Amino acid sequence: MNVIKEAIAGTLESSDLLVKVAPGRDATREIVIRSAVMQQFGKQIRRIVEETLDALSITTASITIEDKGALDCVIRARVQAAVLRASETKELDWRSLT
Amino acid sequence: MNPTFYTVQAKDAPAEMADVRNLLATYDLELDDQIEAFVVCRREGRLVACAGLDHATIKCVAVAQDVRGESLSLKLGTEVVNLAAAKGRFHLFLYSAPRNMPFFRGWGFYPLVEVPQQVVLMENSPTAIETYCDRLREQRRPGNAIGGIVLNANPFTLGHRYLVEQAARACDWLHVFVVKEDASLFSYEDRFALVAAGVKDIDNVVLHPGSDYIISRATFPAYFLKDQAIVDRSWTAIDLLLFREYIAPALGITHRFVGTEPFDAVTRAYNADMQRWLHGVASAAPSITVVEIERLSIDGAPISASRVRSLWTQHELASIKALVPATTWQFLANRDPPVTGSPEHRSLEPTSREVEHS
Amino acid sequence: MKLRRSMLFVPGDNAAMLSTVFVHRPDSIMFDLEDAVSPSQKDSARLLVYQALRHPAYRDIEIVVRINALETEFGLKDLEAAVRGGAHIVRLPKTENPEEIGKLETHIARIEKDCGRAVGDTKVMAAIESASGVVNAVAIAKSSSRMVAIALAGFDYLVDMHTHRSDGWEPELFYARAAVLHAARAAHIDAFDVVYGNINDDEGFLREVMIAKRLGFNGKSLIHPKQIDLLHKAYAPTEEELSHAKRVVAAAEEAHRKGLGVASLDGKMVDPPVIEEAEMTLQLAEAS
Repeated sequence: MNVIKEAIAGTLESSDLLVKVAPGRDATREIVIRSAVMQQFGKQIRRIVEETLDALSITTASITIEDKGALDCVIRARVQAAVLRASETKELDWRSLT
Repeated sequence: MNPTFYTVQAKDAPAEMADVRNLLATYDLELDDQIEAFVVCRREGRLVACAGLDHATIKCVAVAQDVRGESLSLKLGTEVVNLAAAKGRFHLFLYSAPRNMPFFRGWGFYPLVEVPQQVVLMENSPTAIETYCDRLREQRRPGNAIGGIVLNANPFTLGHRYLVEQAARACDWLHVFVVKEDASLFSYEDRFALVAAGVKDIDNVVLHPGSDYIISRATFPAYFLKDQAIVDRSWTAIDLLLFREYIAPALGITHRFVGTEPFDAVTRAYNADMQRWLHGVASAAPSITVVEIERLSIDGAPISASRVRSLWTQHELASIKALVPATTWQFLANRDPPVTGSPEHRSLEPTSREVEHS
Repeated sequence: MKLRRSMLFVPGDNAAMLSTVFVHRPDSIMFDLEDAVSPSQKDSARLLVYQALRHPAYRDIEIVVRINALETEFGLKDLEAAVRGGAHIVRLPKTENPEEIGKLETHIARIEKDCGRAVGDTKVMAAIESASGVVNAVAIAKSSSRMVAIALAGFDYLVDMHTHRSDGWEPELFYARAAVLHAARAAHIDAFDVVYGNINDDEGFLREVMIAKRLGFNGKSLIHPKQIDLLHKAYAPTEEELSHAKRVVAAAEEAHRKGLGVASLDGKMVDPPVIEEAEMTLQLAEAS
């Protein structure tokens, strides 16, 4: 999958997160995370995001996450939704979901 | 009854807008007529919350006292962010009273600059301004006197050329910015190309694309008003503080150059504001010297881009020759002006005042 | 026997609810991708439900996924998410005839094969939301070995019937309730009564629950967690019912021990359906 435009998914509400995806700058993958529980869970959030992107074969993208204490499954879902909206393919390859 | 959220187009829904106006008035907010659309929330028929969108800026946010709890406000924020995204706008700005900053932090907005006790400009990214400044820093040049100048250049005239020449002479390096918003008769691409062509031979000029952070709808909305409105002085402060606190330090700018404005009161006021915000007020950011350069005159009158536009739309190419460099004249000669009175002509023509900020 | 007293509706796009609703322990949870989710968010909700399905907390609760109608641009994609995610039951909205169930089954089987899920593992529930659905209820209920329940959805049905809900015994729902119940019993599947929308009116809710219980509905669709306990208590057997049921079951066990073909209690024969009902009563008592 390739990120070709900007897109968002998720919400600002408690236990959710808002994910912004944009095409990467200079062929990099940049992930910016802000979270109400940054200290305790920042690393874990980053790990889940990276795993999800890896499974979707996203190597270049600019991802911004505003987290309100979401569970891992919610993080995965919102990142997948935002990436799908930002990519060319409209069809999901179910095998590429973590 | 669960609250319902939906969008209303400001121009198409007078009854809804009347309710919005009332809700805003309850909290001493005036309806900003630049807003294109509102997200509104009703509970049992009563309007309890609203948030307006004007291009990429969120404005006129109000939540009724009795429904102020986390959930509804966050849903409102989500809906307005979705509205903006549906219009292709992802980098968003917002003006907030300083005491409401925590509320908007919950919407994912981060403070950029504050006019103390008055207003704070926020954006929906924790890192966008830093990333922008990082890219600016790559363009730093060495020297003691580093200048900055902002041009709309609609189109680039000999008056602009003169300003840039004079400014470049007065410093080691001059950073030239071109206003990016496509709100002028000539598109940003065209204006930028004409500026580039017009200053090509000046060795110590660094030309920069415009951005959301330097005279944009987000940072200086009043600049783009179509009518002869009074420029709200808070807004000039926002634009100028962004320059002083972020852009100038990234490039090491010590001097900002402007052309004098003998006629237009609004531009004159902006220049005075420049002195105050770039130099006058105390700030953690270094002070910047503001240098006013007398505009170039021909036959006793300062060269005016609006005069060039007016001559062009009237097909008076010969009269333009004395006012613009050859590169601009060539561009104008090869292009058909919109028909006077046509929608293109009317909608793109900004105010009759001199709309350039140098 | 799987108890299906309470089926709690959860909007598929609500992360907070999907993250917490399992603590309430209804008999079933329905993740809704249909009416609760706006068109612009269907894609995102689908993924949220898919991921939630795989969360360990939902492993031991029966999960139903209400997909969009297969004729919409969303339905098939929802089905992929539901089956692959491991939903126990797929709820088809606005079911009007058994052919729709046939189409659904074909797709489900295809997806099961593709994702390595045992073919037949995914069950189906039909939602009756229109006059056509009501008159075809028996055929719909009997149309598939995957069918485990049939639900009456009041709001859309009443719109189709050009009427609306009233208070009291609600004549406008009488026929539909009866039809759906009979279809369920003829097909040996479960029947769900309509949603009660006014979450601030506990008395009204309980009145409706008693009607549903008296008519014989297995359970009811719920839209708020607080309705779960109210419902379960209402479905709990009375002391009298419970003691009678215990005696019936004891009689059946005794007959079995003695190798007798028929059980009897107080001189009267006790048929298998009566024994089944008594077992259900015990189960209900235990659950509440």
